[in-house]
Formats: sequence, C-alpha cells, structure tokens
Amino acid sequence: MAGLKDADDFREGEQFKGGGLLKLALLGGGVLFLIVFFVLYAAGSEQSKQAMGYSWLFAVTYFLTLSIGGIFWTLLHHASNSGWGIVVRRLMENIGSMVLFMLILGLPLIVPAFEFRDALWEWFPKKAEIEHHIHEDFDQKLADLKSDYEKNKADAQSAFNAFKSEKEAAIAKPGVTPGHANHLKEAIAHEEKELQKLLDKDLSEKALTKEIRKDAYMDHHHGDVLLWKKDGYLNNGAWYFRFVLYFIALVGIIYTLRFWSVRNDKDGDPKWFLLQRRWACGFLPFFAAAWTFLVFDWLMALDYKWFSTMWGVYLFAGSALNSMALLILLTSWLRKTGHLKNVVTPEHYHLMGKLLLAFTIFWAYIAFSQFFLIWYANITEETVFYLTRNTGYWNKHAMIFLVAGHFFIPFGFLLIQQAKKNVKYICGVAIWTLLMHLMDIYWIIIPERGPSITHGQEMIIKGAIIYDIVAFLAVGCLFGFALLWRLGTASLFPCRDPRLDESLNVIN
Amino acid sequence: MSEARTTPFAYVAEFGSAPELYHAAEKVRDAGFKKWDVHTPYPVHGIDKAMGLGKSWLSTVSLIGGITGFLTAFTLEFFTQVMLYPTVVQNKPTNLNTIPAFFPVMFELTILLTAFATVFGLLAFILLPRWNHPLFESPLFKKSTDDGFIMVIESRDPKFRKERTKEFLEEIGAEEIELLEV
Repeated sequence: MAGLKDADDFREGEQFKGGGLLKLALLGGGVLFLIVFFVLYAAGSEQSKQAMGYSWLFAVTYFLTLSIGGIFWTLLHHASNSGWGIVVRRLMENIGSMVLFMLILGLPLIVPAFEFRDALWEWFPKKAEIEHHIHEDFDQKLADLKSDYEKNKADAQSAFNAFKSEKEAAIAKPGVTPGHANHLKEAIAHEEKELQKLLDKDLSEKALTKEIRKDAYMDHHHGDVLLWKKDGYLNNGAWYFRFVLYFIALVGIIYTLRFWSVRNDKDGDPKWFLLQRRWACGFLPFFAAAWTFLVFDWLMALDYKWFSTMWGVYLFAGSALNSMALLILLTSWLRKTGHLKNVVTPEHYHLMGKLLLAFTIFWAYIAFSQFFLIWYANITEETVFYLTRNTGYWNKHAMIFLVAGHFFIPFGFLLIQQAKKNVKYICGVAIWTLLMHLMDIYWIIIPERGPSITHGQEMIIKGAIIYDIVAFLAVGCLFGFALLWRLGTASLFPCRDPRLDESLNVIN
Repeated sequence: MSEARTTPFAYVAEFGSAPELYHAAEKVRDAGFKKWDVHTPYPVHGIDKAMGLGKSWLSTVSLIGGITGFLTAFTLEFFTQVMLYPTVVQNKPTNLNTIPAFFPVMFELTILLTAFATVFGLLAFILLPRWNHPLFESPLFKKSTDDGFIMVIESRDPKFRKERTKEFLEEIGAEEIELLEV
C-alpha cells in the first residue's frame, strides 16, 4: 500500500539519452559489413553470388521476425485491453516499427538484377524457361493449332453427315423393329451432341493461348504440372503485387498505432488512446494475413513443391517469442543505462517472463504439430522438408538439439517463479532463446541452398557460412542502429496514457 | 444452552478500510502470530507480503503431478507398444524413434495429472471439503463478503491470550472486536 506511484509524477515522460557511441559503432559496423558483403559479392563466382542470396534472406528474415513480434505485441496489448504493459508498450512499438527498415533491406531479394531472386525461388527460373518455350514460334503454334481445329471441325462435320445418312437409311429399311430404330436415333443424337461441342469450341486467341500454355506446362521434359496448378498464385505479377500489399499492411499498421501513441504523449487527449484500442482489433486479421502470406512467399516457396498449412503460425510463434526476449533485453539495457528506473519493476519482468514461457510452449506445440502430421502421413511432397534437414550434413542431431534447446531448456528454466523475477536470469534465458531462434531460422533457410543451387548434387555449399556471418552482422548492426535511433524519437514510455497508473503499480 | 461449556475459538475484528487492515496485518505478522487470517470483499494486492505468507507449495504438488503423468504415459506406451508387443504402424520403427507418436498421449496425461494434482492438492491444503466452520457463527465475519475488512486470530495460536490479544487488536486499530466461542 505504501509507496504507490502516482502517474502524475511521470507525465513528462523520459527521453532516451546517451548511447551515441554505441549508435555510431553500430552504424559503422553495419556499413563496414555491408561493404564487405558487396566486395564478396562483386568478387564472387556465379555460384557464390547465388549462395549469398540465401545468406541475405537468412539475415533479413531473422530481424524481420523480431520486428513482426513487436507489431503483434502492440496489437495484442490494445486488442486485449491490457493495462500491465503500458510502460513497455512504446518499446514494443519501437521494435515493431523496425519492419520498415527490414523490408527495405529485403529489397535486394526481390530485385531480379541481384540474381538473388532466381537463386532463392526456383519457380522463377523454371517458369521463365517454360514461358520461353511457349513464346518460341508462338504465332506459328497459334496458327497451327487454329488450322488443326478448323480442319478437325470440317472433318467431323462430313463424318457426321455420312454417319447420319447411313443410319437414317437403316431406319427407313422395311422390317426394322421400333426398338432398333430408337437405338439408331439415339446414336445419331449422341454424335450430333459431340459434333456440336467441337463446333462450339472457342477458337479465339485467348482460349488457344491458354491451351498452348497448359500443354507446355504439362510437358514431361521441360514442364511442371505443379507450376501450372499453382499458376494463379505463383506468378511474377501477383508475387510483386502481394509484396506491395504486405509492405502497406505491416508498415501501415505499426506506424499508425505508433503515431497515435506519440500524439497521446503530447496532449494527453484520451481519443488517441481509444483510437488505438478500436483499430487494433480491426488491424489484427490484416496483420495475420500479411505475415502468413509473406512467409509463404519468402520461405515456404524456397521449395515450391513443398507446403505446410502450419507454416505461417510456426514462423509467427518464433517471432512473438523472440520479440518478447528482445523486449526483455532492451528493457534491461535501458534500465542499466539509467532509464526507466522507477518505471519498470520486477513485476513487469515476471509478466514478460510468463509470456516468454507461454510462447516457448506455443512454439514447441506448433513445431511439433507440423513435424508430427508430416511424419505420420508420410507423403513424399511433404516429407522432403524434414528429409533435407535431417540427413547428410544437416543430420538429425541439429534437429534434436533444436528440440532440446528451443524448448526443453528454456521451458524448465522459466517454470521457476524466481527465475522470471530475477533480471539476470531472465536476461540469460532471453539471450539463449534468441540464439536458438537464430538456429531455427538458419535451419529453415540454409538447407535449401545446396540442393537448389547445385540441382541436387551437393547438400551444402562449402565456405558459404562466411557469407551468412557477414550478412547477419551487416543486417544486425543496422537493425541495432535503427532501433537506438528510433528510441530517441519519442518518450520511452507512453507518459500520458490514461492507464499509466495501473501499469506503474502493477502486481501479479 | 447457557450451561454448555464454551471455549474461545477466535477473535474476529473489523477494520475501517483496506489500508488499515493492511497495516494491521503487518503488525500482527511482526508480533509473531501464525494461526490467523484476513477476509476482504475484494482482493487486496500485496496482502500476502503484509501477512508474511511465503510462496505456496502448491506449485510443487502440480509439478509432481505433471511428472507422474508424463512418466505414466511414457511407460504405458513404451512398454506395451515397443517392448511387450511391438506394434508396427505404417512401417514406422518400434524403437525410441517412434516417440513422436507417443507425444499426444504423454502431453494429455501430463496436463490431466497436473490439473488433478493442483485441484486436489489445493483442497487438501485448505482442508476442504468440510461441513461447517465455526467462523460462520460470527455475525461480524459475514460482513467480509459485503463491506467489512475482517481479521481473525484463532485461539490455537500459541501467542493467543484472551485479554492481551484483545488489547493488541484494539491497539492496532480494530474498530469492533468479537470473541467467537464454540
């Protein structure tokens, strides 16, 4: 009871001070590693350039997942009308708004000139090859097909005429039983129907083009029936269009929420708070759809033949978990450097630790369910994902280590109540979780590299791990720099939020 | 009835507000009482610390229940399906690599026995179920479900003295005190 904090004492908020040297070091490091990456890229062979595409995707995806989790926690906090986390909500918003920089850093992946796109997503070059076959002598093919059909029509018409007159003559013969006559009439009607079908066939250019394309995709030598079936989703135009939608949805959601939140700091008008709460619920489905399809397009499509309906939620589980880990580390670092001293208490750590535990379990639940269904059903298209990842170089020990390290170790640790309230322990678990997430993302992306680039000859590209490290450091330093810069652009906590009192004095 | 011998069961004391009760609880805690409790119409944050309550042992009981469930399921499935009567389903091996197939049952039994241990452990800890409790005789205690902030010090506490405890309660700010006899 004694020592209740009064939110009025915190109305001025708290600005992020210092960190200047660290910011400079991170920017310098980021630029340096970016240059190293480009030098390696310029000097590399065709194969190493392709390998570097995977490195870049790995690095961008890792930090993208962290920022996606930030958006999720902000949305969830509003949608569930939570009060406990107001003091760390601004940090969630800051982590979430990193999504803009991560998507911009992801642009080299989708610009064809870098040659990353075609190395990563094999359906691009495969499709281009098939389309090339289609466009070869296209006019000739079209004309041939059309004349074939016209000839067929004429032939069928004359064949039918002959058939009809023969049968009618048979009916007119004396002594034909009514049953037999009826049978013959039916035969004529049937043939006429078939003829009509052929005559009605659409011979427009559009219809014939579709037929030529379908034949090319179905071709056994250079076609792929799956690419024909997935043509509506996996095609260049739709792919780029979707990327624009993801960009607008993800960036738009978090920037809008953060804008209202920062406005609330200035005038304390509760309408901003209400706006955030109302819109967060409406934003949630768009956020979920954007993230799910983004990982379909970027990660699941690394092997376009493979599919898993749990893919989106699997990546989401890892994102939310590790964003919470990052939030815990960021809060602790800020407290260590003298910020938020009187604002964040062990009770907040306990609450964040509980969410960390919950999402550790959630990740394991989703990861196991995905494995379990594929393992049990044992369908070739599906099992290829795990076969690639637990045979050869990527032996099963890596997978078992992931199970133990990503689930059992943090799970056992986080069950203890004291471990969640003790800043040192919880930070240790957070660092461990982030390392395991690194391994998880690496394990998702990199095993596709060898088989894809060498067309199944090699499981791994030797020496390519250097590119992974350089890319990770480059993106990581830039992420760190952008985050520190972002911290300084507003108060470290929403200082005029109507429910700040509740959060300052939270006890669970 | 008046001839029946009565023994004091507890002092029931009412306090004016939650903060008063909270501070009184701190004083009772510091005075070294063990068999006592407070009753309020709504949860009061931090009252457990003011009362000097430690961490509950219930979580340990839950953990033991969970581990029991896990091991039960593992043993049940492993001994029957792998060791006693190896059952080949869909050409899957019958050894430790088959363990994913056993996970759902292991998971469910872990949850089930954790829940059982928690619920029944809690009932055992708080000595429920029982038919009646002497406190229900106290008119003052009934106010704790409405607007009263009630403290009860039981006579089985070694520090309980009929006169001194009453004085002590008055001293720490009790507005009304009732000696409950059974």
